[in-house]
Amino acid sequence: MKTFFTALFLFNLMLTPVQAQEDAWSYTNDDLHPGEEVPINKEERQEELNPSQAADENDPWESFNRGVFWFNDTMDGFLFDRISEMYKGVVPEFVRQRVGYALRNLSEPIVIANNLLQGEVEDAGDTLGRFLINSTVGVAGLFDVSTDLGFPYKKEDFGLTLASWGVGPGPYLVLPILGPSSLRDTFGRIGDYGLDPINWWAYLDDKAFYSNIRTGVQILDAKTDNLELIADLKKNAVDYYASIRAWYQLRRKDLATKERQALDTPRPDEED
Amino acid sequence: MKKFVFMFVSLFIWIQGAQADVDPQQAETFMADIGTKVITILTNKSISDQERADQFREILETKFNVKSIGKFVLGRYWKQASEEEKQRFLELFKETTVASYATRFKDYTSEKFEILGSRPEADGGVTVLSRIVRPRGQNIPIDWKVFEKNDEMRIYDVILEGISMGITQRSEYSSVIQQGGGKVEAINEALEKKLGFYQ
Repeated sequence: MKTFFTALFLFNLMLTPVQAQEDAWSYTNDDLHPGEEVPINKEERQEELNPSQAADENDPWESFNRGVFWFNDTMDGFLFDRISEMYKGVVPEFVRQRVGYALRNLSEPIVIANNLLQGEVEDAGDTLGRFLINSTVGVAGLFDVSTDLGFPYKKEDFGLTLASWGVGPGPYLVLPILGPSSLRDTFGRIGDYGLDPINWWAYLDDKAFYSNIRTGVQILDAKTDNLELIADLKKNAVDYYASIRAWYQLRRKDLATKERQALDTPRPDEED
Repeated sequence: MKKFVFMFVSLFIWIQGAQADVDPQQAETFMADIGTKVITILTNKSISDQERADQFREILETKFNVKSIGKFVLGRYWKQASEEEKQRFLELFKETTVASYATRFKDYTSEKFEILGSRPEADGGVTVLSRIVRPRGQNIPIDWKVFEKNDEMRIYDVILEGISMGITQRSEYSSVIQQGGGKVEAINEALEKKLGFYQ
């Protein structure tokens, strides 16, 4: 019973719309309207109406997250990066690519499940096509033939499915080892893990370690792919934790939105 | 009355802005030119790091709008900053950008820059889609937000895989400022420290 209410409470956190950290503020422009508070031009008015910046930093658990982030970073430094480097050094790129594609192919059934849960029947059909073609012509998923045929990989996971059902991301959350996530996306990972037919097979057939090995290889594959990018970000960022957070949140938002959004970007103003 | 004055004033200011809608074709040509130039500079091994940085700085100053980008990146803290803090920030922002890019791509060779197309945006700018084709490793898709102001075209944002660098940096700098007690001085100090680290 207690578990149920805890879960319900946590779920509720996700559904609460993110509140702007600041009230819509207005400016005083003494030149035009002494003492009055009036937004003076199109750009500033827009900023007042869309305090989009506040939504970017939904991180009430920041100190906890920074701790886990630091832990992950240390683990990477001691262990995972060394393994990735060895992997990269020993195994030729061609083989690593095959491993990557094969893993991705194995995850297509989950993508199909999520396509259907989102009501995207056409996408489900495309993904099924990808899975079948890559598994056969692409030799057990080793070769991504489908992309060349015009059916590129379109990632879907349960976190994005929840997003399509209207669930907001909830607070930013850094997971041990797994890295940046959000409250919603963490539930998403759990959901995907449960949905995955391979995990079902492995556990029911008492071969749980197959599933764990696959997870391990997935993590290795992902980390190896991103070694340079991460090292680059880490070196150049002023606040590495905050850059990764921003990157993660924006990436998820981008994946979750089907129609292209007009980005909030720098633009000219009359001061130039 | 207030509403009328507001409308009149904003219309007046908007017209003064002289911001023209960008022609997508021109934007593409503009980017094609810059992209190739930048790659040539950043992968040029025969010049010194200093020289490479100088050349890149020139591109930054003439083809990007550092002031608008800096102002955006500082976000809600721009208003709070003193004139001196603003200038210092823009200078540090520009220099750390130059420093971080000047050495990043030294090891790259024979990368090609390809324009893939363009997309006019509702705000009058154009997003130019491009990618860097790498002989080994994955291609990198990059989008560029271009605006025309006073008959001059400039880059206002760089978008990697759908993620705006302007927004990412804004979030990052905001975090630094918040941790520094909400003072713009915090980001200036952090940038200065970063700059020292590059040298």
